[in-house]
Amino acid sequence: MALIQQPRPTAAPQTSLLRAWWFLVLLSWRRQARARQMVWIALGLLAFTTAMTAVATAADLWHRPRFRQLAVADQMMLDALVPGSPAQAVADATFGAAGVAVLTDQSAAQVFARWVVAAIFLGFLLPLWSLSFATEAIGGDREQNSLIWLLARPLPRPMVYLAKFVALLPWTVGLNMGGFALVCAAAGRPGLTALRLFWPAVLCATLAFAALFQLMGAAFRRPAIVAIGYSFFLEIILGNMPGVMKRVSIGFYAHCMMLEAADRHGIQIDRPNVYWPVDGTTAIIVLLTTTVTLLVMGMVVFSRTQYHDSV
Amino acid sequence: MSELSSIAAAGGGNRGVEKEFSRDPKGSAKTSGRSRDPARQLLPTPVLLCQRVSKWYGPVIGVNQVTLELRPGITGLVGSNGAGKSTLMRLITGHVRPDIGRVEVLGRDAWSAAAKRHIGYCPEVDSFYEEMSGRQFIETMARLSGYTSGEARRRTGAVLERVGMSGRAERRLRGYSKGMRQRIKLAQAMLHDPELLVLDEPLSGIDPVGRAEFISLFRDLADQGKCLLVSSHELDELQKLTDHVAVMARGRIAAVGSVAQIRDRLDDHPLTVRVDVARTTEEGGKDRRRELAGALLRLPDVVGVELLDDAPGEEDVGRLLVRARNPRTFFQDLTRLVLEEWFEVRRLQTLDESAEAVLGYLLGGRG
Amino acid sequence: MGDSSGRGAAPELLHYRPWKGAFRPPIAAVWPIARTGLLMLLRRRLFWGLYALSMMIFLMYFFGQYLLAWFQTQAGESRVVVGLLAIHPGELIEILADKLKLNGSAATYRNYIHYQGYMVMIVLALAGSVLIGNDFRYGSLPFYLSKPLSRRHYLLGKGLAVAVFINLLTTLPALALFVEYGLIYSWDHFTRNSYLVAGILAYGAVLTVSLTLILLATAVWLRRTVPLIMTWTALFLLCRQLATSLVDGLHLDPRWRLIDLWNNTWLVGGACLQMGPEAFDPASQPRWVEAALVLGGVSVACLSYLALRLRAVEIVG
Repeated sequence: MALIQQPRPTAAPQTSLLRAWWFLVLLSWRRQARARQMVWIALGLLAFTTAMTAVATAADLWHRPRFRQLAVADQMMLDALVPGSPAQAVADATFGAAGVAVLTDQSAAQVFARWVVAAIFLGFLLPLWSLSFATEAIGGDREQNSLIWLLARPLPRPMVYLAKFVALLPWTVGLNMGGFALVCAAAGRPGLTALRLFWPAVLCATLAFAALFQLMGAAFRRPAIVAIGYSFFLEIILGNMPGVMKRVSIGFYAHCMMLEAADRHGIQIDRPNVYWPVDGTTAIIVLLTTTVTLLVMGMVVFSRTQYHDSV
Repeated sequence: MSELSSIAAAGGGNRGVEKEFSRDPKGSAKTSGRSRDPARQLLPTPVLLCQRVSKWYGPVIGVNQVTLELRPGITGLVGSNGAGKSTLMRLITGHVRPDIGRVEVLGRDAWSAAAKRHIGYCPEVDSFYEEMSGRQFIETMARLSGYTSGEARRRTGAVLERVGMSGRAERRLRGYSKGMRQRIKLAQAMLHDPELLVLDEPLSGIDPVGRAEFISLFRDLADQGKCLLVSSHELDELQKLTDHVAVMARGRIAAVGSVAQIRDRLDDHPLTVRVDVARTTEEGGKDRRRELAGALLRLPDVVGVELLDDAPGEEDVGRLLVRARNPRTFFQDLTRLVLEEWFEVRRLQTLDESAEAVLGYLLGGRG
Repeated sequence: MGDSSGRGAAPELLHYRPWKGAFRPPIAAVWPIARTGLLMLLRRRLFWGLYALSMMIFLMYFFGQYLLAWFQTQAGESRVVVGLLAIHPGELIEILADKLKLNGSAATYRNYIHYQGYMVMIVLALAGSVLIGNDFRYGSLPFYLSKPLSRRHYLLGKGLAVAVFINLLTTLPALALFVEYGLIYSWDHFTRNSYLVAGILAYGAVLTVSLTLILLATAVWLRRTVPLIMTWTALFLLCRQLATSLVDGLHLDPRWRLIDLWNNTWLVGGACLQMGPEAFDPASQPRWVEAALVLGGVSVACLSYLALRLRAVEIVG
């Protein structure tokens, strides 16, 4: 009896992996927007921070701390340096108008960088926004049991993971960079200085956090909890450890990039002899290498993990 | 080669299965279900090949040493909840990996993306991208398979038509009934025209008219040379679809073959049953174990009765080991005997797990 | 089974027998709901990991008190050699007793509970999503509501489970530290400082009531894990950081610290432990009464929200 030929793989000639991958990128990007509650809360936090910054700017608070220190020696000096006050002329006469302007700008940028950029933005908003969207990339599908539809398609798992990461970037980078720009804009001149100086640190930290938290989404059943434990417990504890221990935290390298950029501008955010920073170039290399390493690790983990609970 | 190459012996558990399978040089259970073209059964590579596959979930074994070979046609997979049907289907569709053994689809490892081109999976999971309409969902699945936009639309229209959803596909998935959701799941499984269709409880939640349509559709697919593995809790339901079933129990394939053949095999194969009975009535009296043993020996299907030693601390319970043929008639006789003679049976256990499972189904109960 | 008097008698078939006992009132269902919730969380390895992390702070205090007592017995020595380390007992006593406040005073217990803040926040975020969020998402709520109890009892049960976790992380370990101090030093500690027990319990009660209500309200509102965590961290971390930036960084009025809810519980807790304003660091703090008012206001707002949702149909999900 003659043998019938093997059933031909009918789908193969008309399909393209690259096309499927790109469609998954678009689909994942669109589906991130469906998490409306999350997007609204993120925007709400941004609005709240921007509003507080704008209020501080309107009250000219960025200049106050530095001059309060000066006022310990001479209260009149504080009065003199409040812009528009009659004593401004005295200060101008004492330090020279240009000198006062430079001192004022640097002081304001320093205060803004330390108390808003480092403490609130890099310390809270950036990790939170990154973890919210990044843990949802894979974790959201796991939570909603919809991962099965992706894994049933003929896309290799590393490609699925990579597509999720690429789709995630517009959200995390957009929110972090856009949010940073908005908060800086609300702070006026010191904010614009901070934006110019620190955007690379924000971008690199965003990429590294996004890669880390997406990996957590692939590896853990409750990635958001693990990520929040990492961000607000380990990052803070490790990031404030004395000596070189803090170098295992992502925030440390972002902070180092900030320190160097600030230093070039003549601003000192932290004391180098206490903080023991690495130079900016090393920090960039570490953050980018970390991003790529975490991304590859995530692809491997996602390729090997059996998602019993989601399929 | 006969259409049914092997039938598992119910009495021998997996060993029995292996014994039967050993007739085939590859040592596998071959089933080729309902197909009008017998030549398809002679394909050099089976569509699905599971070789001694085992899967553990921690200390629990989900699938135990399953060997299965499928060629075009429909094969039913029956078993009770927790028997391992869904795990086996996940292994076949490459969603989980076997701890031991190998699963191949058309010669490719089922875990690989290449194998998924040839698999259509209708899962039991009932989660979709709920914000989408049925049509959008199917089209999305088509795009994720790598089709162009036009081709995806064309295929979407075709499969929706085929599952009877073309007029109702514009509504959001979250508003669909269970039956409509089943149709959409089936549509996405057929979308890329796969050689192997793995359908996990596809008839559940479908009304009788829909069931008839589905059964007709499955038969058409089988006639086109597709290989279908369809799971169900209900043997009667599968019998309408195919005469070839695999019975799963406790992670093992307990039997493979036609329902009639499995029944015959069971009838021919002596069954060992343990019966624990109260030795005395409340008023005291004779040793009722011996009474029961005598009564059992008078039954036509009982081959032998063995009196077992008493368990320590349970001297009031007498234990018997009964070997019987024709399980169905034996159990009917036993029931009648117990009720008429008023034996207080404390325990009744079939000592062969596979046979118990198969019996459970054939007698209309659980495995 | 059946009538055993006659062998040929018709067997009495098994059939459904209705429950003949008396049902307990619905309020009795609160504890079973809480117990189920507790078991759900205790089954998770992640919870035990977080709890182990929180135990680090407890162990630091526990062994800190022990070390302090030991060094005080060595106070006459100019230096004590422990392994390869030469230690000056006087200096260590100063660090442990005065800087870390491991001296069995009110500050010990207040600081201990305060330092648990991060872990409490993370554990409660997990508890909120597991205890309540999952019920909404996986449709378990009808199982509860199909029993003869109302949504109020359901929320009370969940609230009780949350309360147990809060006290497991804060009040109970603080009481254990109190007992340890008394056992190390003198039985007089228990009688002389019994007001501290009342203070710890009161502090625990403030935390329990306010955090439970906030968690229930946010969990009922948001349901999903990530939004819940975003809101929860915003309330307890962003507001805290913002308050620090505004008051310590920009030297605004200390009342701006009132936006930091954890700081408010700290202030009220200090008052419960009868600590004066001088015992707070940083010193620029609002008055504890103001903090109590804010906490009370937030709790009432959460309670009102819960009451509204309880009446609404959509809580059934």
